[in-house]
Amino acid sequence: MPKDKNIETEFLSKIHKHQGILHKICFLYSNYNADREDLYQEITLQLWKSYPSFKGESEFSTWMYRVALNTAISITKKPSFFVATDNAPTIQDNIENSMDLNEEIKVLYKAISQLKKVEKAIVLLWLEEKSYEEIASTIGITVKNVSVKLVRVKAKLAEIIKKLQ
Amino acid sequence: MIKIDLEKYRSAWKNEQSFDSQKLSNNDIRKFLQANSKNINKMFKTGLSIDIVLKSLLAISFAGLIVLFANQHTVVLVNAALIALSIGGIIYQVRTYQKVPKNKQPLQNIRTSLKSKIDFYNTRYIKSLFVGALSNSMFFLSGIMYYFYFKYSAIRPFQLDDYLVFGTAIILSFALGAFIQIKQHNFQISQLENCLKDIDEDTLDEYNIKKLKKQRIKNMIIAAISLVLGLLLLTYIIFN
Repeated sequence: MPKDKNIETEFLSKIHKHQGILHKICFLYSNYNADREDLYQEITLQLWKSYPSFKGESEFSTWMYRVALNTAISITKKPSFFVATDNAPTIQDNIENSMDLNEEIKVLYKAISQLKKVEKAIVLLWLEEKSYEEIASTIGITVKNVSVKLVRVKAKLAEIIKKLQ
Repeated sequence: MIKIDLEKYRSAWKNEQSFDSQKLSNNDIRKFLQANSKNINKMFKTGLSIDIVLKSLLAISFAGLIVLFANQHTVVLVNAALIALSIGGIIYQVRTYQKVPKNKQPLQNIRTSLKSKIDFYNTRYIKSLFVGALSNSMFFLSGIMYYFYFKYSAIRPFQLDDYLVFGTAIILSFALGAFIQIKQHNFQISQLENCLKDIDEDTLDEYNIKKLKKQRIKNMIIAAISLVLGLLLLTYIIFN
């Protein structure tokens, strides 16, 4: 149907525009290259299924963060979902061998990979310069709690980076 | 003592171009949309569908056994009961299928979404696992009755040891199926609960503090009563 086609085109163009968000989330929430592709696929599908409910009350990117982080966090890492084997190349290997990435990003990635799933979400939203209100509404906690958590997570992140250096 | 300047990392993150440079074309994204989802809800729905089909086949096979053992009334009654059990199981699984959380969950904030998933897994889903495990026992029963029919054309009256052997096999087939599924279920729940705990760990709000204070007072009263009762009992024992 033409209407559906229009919606699909609109959706694809929005996803295309904000793809960086998806790449960043997949980058932080998967250990293997194959997992990253699976996660990208899963998040894209969830975004497409949820798209009809997107009323434009918030910015598309904010809505996208919420759906994508929800999907990444609630996918439990079990063999049937993450099929990659221990011998498969890890994202960490790729990052270490990458000439394109700057040294700070390499260290940051290694440090974030040691955080818990929810901590990763908080750090990601902080790195993306989201306001406390936006972080609170995405995670579902109070603004006051965001500040408490953020202090704690940032201290943990700094501690890990210090050990890595 | 090295002081880490996190702002330096944040600005590196902000200026990192590689996330944008790996952009996929609209065609690639469309391919991702068409690919099969591997999410938990879908896996759970697939499991339910398989169980519904299996129970339907079992109901048909029990109906076949009624025809084959038409002259053995006890066997007919047992099979009729098993058909009723299969149909009951199918109805339960169909209702569970309809209650699997819809896709609106990703729209909620992470905490609410996790909470509703955990609630679903802890209520309807756990019961459905036991209903699903019943298929194993019914499959065993159906198989053994067909075996008896083709080997002996009848089922002879059971002795005590027969009841013990078949009873154990039925229980084991049920328990094994349930055990495996519950292990998987616990794994999923623990993953989700850990995430929820991460979110909640700092939420010691006024309500929780009041609740903790009340609990502490309650515990002290119980301890005091226990102490008095213990002393009274000790006194009674000593003086008698």
